[in-house]
Amino acid sequence: MIQFFRNSRKILGMNARNLEFIRPNNLRRAKRLADDKLRSKKMLLKAEMPVPKLIDKIKDVDELENFDWTTLPESFVLKPNRGFGGEGILIVYGKKKNLFNVWIKADGSLVTVDDLKTHIRNIIDGGFSLSGVPDIAFFEERMKLLKLFKPYAYKGIPDIRVIIYNKVPVMAMLRLPTKVSSGKANLQQGAIGVGIDLATGVTTTAVLGKNKLIEYVPGTRLLLSGIKIPYWKTILTLAVRTQEISSLGFLGADVAIDRDLGPVFLELNARPGLSIQVANLDGLLGRLRRVEGLKIKTVEKGVAVGMNLFGGEIEEEIEDISGKKIIGLVEKVKFIGKEGKEIEVEAKIDTGAHSTSIDVELAKELGFEKTLDDFSKIDLSQYDIKLESEDYIKSEDYIKKDILEKYKNSVQDLDGVAVTYSANGSSIRPAVKINFILDNTEIASEVNFANREKLVYKVLIGRRDLKKFLIEVNK
Amino acid sequence: MSNGMNQFITLALSNGVPLDTLILVLILPIIVTMIAFFRQVVGIKAFGIYTPAIITFALLATNEIRYGITIFITVIIVGTLARLLLKQFRLLYLPRVAIMITIVGFSILALLIIGGIYNRTGLASVSIFPILIMITLVEKFVAVQIEKGGRAAIVLALETLVISVIGYYIASWDMLIRLILHYPWISLLTLPVNIFLGKWTGLRLTEYFRFRQIIKPR
Repeated sequence: MIQFFRNSRKILGMNARNLEFIRPNNLRRAKRLADDKLRSKKMLLKAEMPVPKLIDKIKDVDELENFDWTTLPESFVLKPNRGFGGEGILIVYGKKKNLFNVWIKADGSLVTVDDLKTHIRNIIDGGFSLSGVPDIAFFEERMKLLKLFKPYAYKGIPDIRVIIYNKVPVMAMLRLPTKVSSGKANLQQGAIGVGIDLATGVTTTAVLGKNKLIEYVPGTRLLLSGIKIPYWKTILTLAVRTQEISSLGFLGADVAIDRDLGPVFLELNARPGLSIQVANLDGLLGRLRRVEGLKIKTVEKGVAVGMNLFGGEIEEEIEDISGKKIIGLVEKVKFIGKEGKEIEVEAKIDTGAHSTSIDVELAKELGFEKTLDDFSKIDLSQYDIKLESEDYIKSEDYIKKDILEKYKNSVQDLDGVAVTYSANGSSIRPAVKINFILDNTEIASEVNFANREKLVYKVLIGRRDLKKFLIEVNK
Repeated sequence: MSNGMNQFITLALSNGVPLDTLILVLILPIIVTMIAFFRQVVGIKAFGIYTPAIITFALLATNEIRYGITIFITVIIVGTLARLLLKQFRLLYLPRVAIMITIVGFSILALLIIGGIYNRTGLASVSIFPILIMITLVEKFVAVQIEKGGRAAIVLALETLVISVIGYYIASWDMLIRLILHYPWISLLTLPVNIFLGKWTGLRLTEYFRFRQIIKPR
């Protein structure tokens, strides 16, 4: 029961959306801009944002009668300027051969100039605009479907809805047109919404229409989770930049990916729908509250904050499956020195190294000064190491074994010997047993001491100690 | 009825304001507040605030509520059929609505005649005012069909009917009418109620259902 109330408090409802987010953040002027597709297209173009190219527009019946239909290309999209919910959009895919000015729709049916005229007259008359006000019809270039999305989308182009608040992307979903939605990427009309992990751009959970949770594309065995959306960071950056340009404080940004052009900005939305929460199985309000009041100066920072705060579900899932933890290239590590002394340092995760090594200064702090002193008394010049030498006397294995046997008693805590090769030849270092904690996991390690004074990280974790982890290079 | 009645009411009556008008005007704030409550707290949308309010009064004017409901449902059914019929002609908005109103008007006329044949004289004697309101309801219906699709329009129409029926029972509740004639100012109590509703940011009841998959503990 408590969980029930806690979860429901994270959800953004219609009342809160209108009163707390749209009203104070989206001023009337900005809202009107978002509702006017031609004006917002112009504005975005001026800011050098990628948008679908405008072919032509028809403002009134006079313009319609005098329109030169031969100027239209083979494929185009006809839209009402103030349309909403994807209504009144007509898409043609090609021109019919042997026939003059006849186009073909996605379902194979033909569209003549007369059909276009009726449709445009309907648009001009306000048949598709909010509250029926007279409208403008316009033609724009048709986007080309990305190969990756081909099996998932029924006709039409999928798009990515990103909710931006306070310059931070807070939630995103991929919208896939279906047969029910007749090729439109609109959830209210029965499209599929797939939640996206903001950090990685990988899809998570999916909803069909407004409420039905699904795992596969209906009628297929195509899994909807785990789709990696290309250009992810670019898409988020585009969306955040649009917020700056449009001054819509609470924005639903629609971005599509064109096969040739890459991410293209489709539409601004001043009243983004709430179903995105079902697609992501997470509440928006909780996320909006976390972003509220942050001082975000640049677009890049906003994108980074969003990726950091609202990603990671995928990681947890992988951790669950593999039983391994995911770490980045640099992680905080806590060493447990002699007499329980704990020191936390940043460590470089290096799968190129076999074992873990730490700087001599750190070793001293951890209480191994005596070990270092004792080891420095050994005359190492007697050992001549040659990499891949045939001669056993000169091999690494022999030397390690020999030193350990001879000096185990005279050097305090000595547990092993590490040999490393570099451009300046080879070096022999002492190694001791030390435990350290990485990402809440305690690891019993054999750590060697090296002079890392000039290096950025005083600790390098080698692959011998990384068996329980997966390394994510983007983290 | 004058004993114990409020001074303001007596004043209005003695100056020729009809009692029915007084009651309806004083009840109207309560009806519209109820509609606002259903939208903001329960989540039943209906066709805005005007349509359910006017349908409520149309029901009040039909003598018997079942006749009002019959006419309403006929309008919705005929409206849906007419839409399917007219879809193929691809007509512009206003001419299309004009045709729809004509079709619906004739259907209601037919309904009244059929009612007469089966001795439902109450149906035929329904006054013209509620009938006209119900017929013009079809414009709202068409507008929503375009905006949100046919199914949503039917759902919203039924929600409108439910709210209007509730409104009808509130407006014909004897105790409430007597109370309001004694203390007409209680009608103004709806103002603070609406200020509260206007600031209410909680989830609507229907949203608990809509987002049940997120809410349920996992």
